[in-house]
Amino acid sequence: MRRNIAGAALVVGIALVIGAFALVGDAAPGPQPPSVGPTVPQDTGAGELLVVVLGGVYPSRAEAEAANTALDFADVQGYYVVPVAQFQGLQEEVGAPGDFALVSAFRTEQGAQEFAAFAQSLGNPATILPNRVRSLGGMYAGLGQEAAPDGSGPLLRPIPESLP
Amino acid sequence: MGSSSSSSPGRRRRRLLPLAAVVLALAPLLLAYHWARLGWRDWHYNYPATPTGYTQIVNRFGEPCNSNASAIEMPWPASDNGMTYKFRFHRKLGGYPTEVVPNKGGRSTNLDNDVYGHIQNDHLSSYTKSGIWGYFCRTISGSSSWSTHAWGIAVDISASYEPMGQCYSTVNKNFAYVFKNHGWRWGLDFCDPMHFQYAFGY
Repeated sequence: MRRNIAGAALVVGIALVIGAFALVGDAAPGPQPPSVGPTVPQDTGAGELLVVVLGGVYPSRAEAEAANTALDFADVQGYYVVPVAQFQGLQEEVGAPGDFALVSAFRTEQGAQEFAAFAQSLGNPATILPNRVRSLGGMYAGLGQEAAPDGSGPLLRPIPESLP
Repeated sequence: MGSSSSSSPGRRRRRLLPLAAVVLALAPLLLAYHWARLGWRDWHYNYPATPTGYTQIVNRFGEPCNSNASAIEMPWPASDNGMTYKFRFHRKLGGYPTEVVPNKGGRSTNLDNDVYGHIQNDHLSSYTKSGIWGYFCRTISGSSSWSTHAWGIAVDISASYEPMGQCYSTVNKNFAYVFKNHGWRWGLDFCDPMHFQYAFGY
């Protein structure tokens, strides 16, 4: 009889412990979402002369988007899909037919060179166009994602070389 | 005969005890000798506290892409393709002179002496494979928020074996504990196993 009572008490005790754990588990907070810091402003550099790194030219936006998705860029941002007509002189520079291009635009030569070296180290195509092209505004193409020459932070404004 | 054979394992055990004690006592000394012979030791000198969230990151390491974020350079050879990757990182995370690191104007011994040295001396360098990067003034893929690479407080290792979006690890799991023991967070927590960053909550 005593054994039965002890056994029942043990079972009840275990059930209570499991219940307590379950309650505590329910009350535990979920994973914290990452904090969101200031984002890169959507700077199009309208009117500026920019250095463009080209990843490819495609006949349609869908094909350009598909090609961009297939490129490996680790956890950092890569190319942007833009209409070729968004940059005055880009059509002549790319030398290939197509209405949409994978580009990343920079104000400094150094920013373009660092990005091209990074892209190439990942086995991705990257050609720095020999001449600057004029941005006519439109879609964001990566401006702001290069270091300012004075080391103060990201370059978020025109520099003498980018002004016509 | 029967009694001696039944007690012999016990005797043997007793005889082995002093030997085991000697081995246990000598093992750390031998390990220390082995490490010291390579001229390396884990300094743990002047580490900044690991920040949590954007504000703390900026308070501790400055604005994204600032000049300190790319002040220190180090080489890291990949074991699979024979290539030595050179990458840059923040001045507060290394570049302080030690037995194996020249004076690079850095403020601590974290990455280039302690983490890297630990991986070498634990004979784990065969697991650090191709695709090794540090500072990069860019945003996170698929968003317009700054990547921790923009502060020079993130390193990608074995990128060709540990792609972003993969929620398990094949090679980096062998040395991730070294980073964790030196204040770093492993990106496997958010399915980016190539990524190690000196920050939480971002």
